[in-house]
Amino acid sequence: MNPTILPILLPLLTALLVLFWGKPGRPRRVLVAGSGIVQLALALWLVARSCTGESFVLTLGNWSAPFGIVLVIDPLAAIMLALSTFTALASILYGYAELSFRVEHPLRLPLTQFLLAGINLAFCTGDLFNLFVAFEIMLIASYALLTLEADDWDVKQAFPYLAVNLVGSTLFLCAAGLAYTLFGTLNFADIAMRASVMADDPRVLALGLLLLVVFGIKAGIFPLYYWLPNSYPTLPIPLAALYAGMLTKVGVYVLLRVFGTVLPHSLEPAHQLLAWLAGATMIFGVLGAISRNFIRGILAYHILSQIGFMVLAIGLFTPLSFAACIFYVIHHIIVKSSLFLIGGVGLCLNRTDNLDRMGNLWRHAPWLGVVFLCQALSLAGLPPLSGFWGKYAIVVVGLEKGAYVLVAASLVASILTLFSMLKIWNSAFWNSPDEREVCLWDLRWVKLCRVAAGMTVVSLGIGLGAEGVFRVAQEAAVRALDQEGYARVVFSRIGKGGATPP
Amino acid sequence: MNGPRSFIFNSTVRLVFFLVNVVAVYLLLRGHNAPGGGFIAGLATAISLIFLSLAVGVEGMHRLLRFDPVLLAAAGLVLAAGAGMLPMFVNQPFLEHFQFHLSNVPVLGEVHAGTPLLFDVGVFLVVVGVTCKMIFVFAKSAQGLRALVAEEERRYSSPVEQPIESDAPPASQEAAARPKEERHAN
Repeated sequence: MNPTILPILLPLLTALLVLFWGKPGRPRRVLVAGSGIVQLALALWLVARSCTGESFVLTLGNWSAPFGIVLVIDPLAAIMLALSTFTALASILYGYAELSFRVEHPLRLPLTQFLLAGINLAFCTGDLFNLFVAFEIMLIASYALLTLEADDWDVKQAFPYLAVNLVGSTLFLCAAGLAYTLFGTLNFADIAMRASVMADDPRVLALGLLLLVVFGIKAGIFPLYYWLPNSYPTLPIPLAALYAGMLTKVGVYVLLRVFGTVLPHSLEPAHQLLAWLAGATMIFGVLGAISRNFIRGILAYHILSQIGFMVLAIGLFTPLSFAACIFYVIHHIIVKSSLFLIGGVGLCLNRTDNLDRMGNLWRHAPWLGVVFLCQALSLAGLPPLSGFWGKYAIVVVGLEKGAYVLVAASLVASILTLFSMLKIWNSAFWNSPDEREVCLWDLRWVKLCRVAAGMTVVSLGIGLGAEGVFRVAQEAAVRALDQEGYARVVFSRIGKGGATPP
Repeated sequence: MNGPRSFIFNSTVRLVFFLVNVVAVYLLLRGHNAPGGGFIAGLATAISLIFLSLAVGVEGMHRLLRFDPVLLAAAGLVLAAGAGMLPMFVNQPFLEHFQFHLSNVPVLGEVHAGTPLLFDVGVFLVVVGVTCKMIFVFAKSAQGLRALVAEEERRYSSPVEQPIESDAPPASQEAAARPKEERHAN
């Protein structure tokens, strides 16, 4: 059996099972966690296999490539699948530790699995329209999760999220229509082959810019990020970690895929625009983070500034910068999710995540402080933690390309990141006025802390084994940029309809 | 529809209900090679059910249907996913489809059918279930009735109202008493 469909099918079947056959309870939790472990194992196996040169292609319904829907898993997609399943598993386990199943919302687990199915479909798909479908599955599940356990204030914050993403989806549909009139196809491989001979056509550039806006909205780059920083903090902690880790990174992945694999590599103006917007995103994101005064708000703004680094790497557009971007995505997803979880432990101990009323954590829970420091310094980019290597590679490429202003912006953003992390450290951990109570009697925090620490260990492993991870990222980047190789793999599957490579 | 019911409307709906459903089945069956299919047929059937609910009242629909429309959607999802997955057991790709042609079938004559029909029926059921559920809930809340009955409430809503942070902290009771706006505003 072809394993390409499984990363989508497993979460979907889990969601169906859980949705209709279970009241919240222990068997249901065990089922979802077991499914999560199987999904993670499968994704890791896919990474291992695809990095040895194999690509997994599945033609749905046996219709061959330009006509039917294809699913393609190359190393880049496999890495993203591993990250999404890992983050989802951590978020699910954290959710188990946080709330007893007696008070669990019955729809949270199935919706998380639907969300995961959408995310995985976005990573696997090989054509533009199916990507749209994947985004819709993902977004609809995310709207539902965002407002599931919300009060009036939260619903108000979710509204910009909904509105902006609906506009983004509409623009996406327009872009797909434009691509179809230009190339007569929506298949990634087919577009890549047809677009390479019409790279000078201004309409291709227009399509590139339109797609930049669409995926810029999803990724949250500079002028389009308004929906993000107020809506994410309203989520329950484990879901916030999943959203913060994965959703915007789907946008980054699609930018990588579209500009690397699908559109011609000569769209210089679009790449320039990406790089400059990325610079602005870093600075504005980190300034927003400094202005916030509660942990989840600070972290939500930091997502944006980190997105800036990844998009800058895409905008620089060399194989090395692509590898740096992929490495950065690997680092960022794990660090950012675990920081949200750590913030959640702090919230559980102090009963608030408002920095004005936190404190005393270092005195009573020093290990939590150590875990937090590891991840916060990694986010700021101190060696030998994982964040350093990603930033280092991006800065090297930036200097090679002579983008001095952008490199300077990224360094300033890093220092300001360190500053805002220290702000959390000072008020929540170091600061110890006697009247701040730490609720150590609430024993949930031990389990919560274990989940966050598990993620931290993985992230430390990425930092210390950076060479190996970077090699995988380089392999993924080379394969993602190799348009002809991608098309060859996709068209090598011959089914009904016959293969007619252009 | 709280006021007195119109006899003309009721009897028209009884006729129209069957007509619309015949059209729906027609749309469903021709959808394989022509415009039509499970989605549009599902909408047609849903419209017929909504008409019926206007005639007998939303609460009457509960007694008439005797089950939660969401179960229809569930059955549809299982059917559609199953139709997609079946070929995987005979080592064919997901969503592969097979067709067969029968001649000399009693009543129908020649029949040409395939497994995509199963998938389409799944889509049909999902659309009927979801549309009816949404409209019925809206209609009930618009008429001032409870949108969810007790059993549904257990299934679709959370047993706790308060998130973790308002767990009545002893130290900061006045903090918890503050409105949430203030906590998030800065």
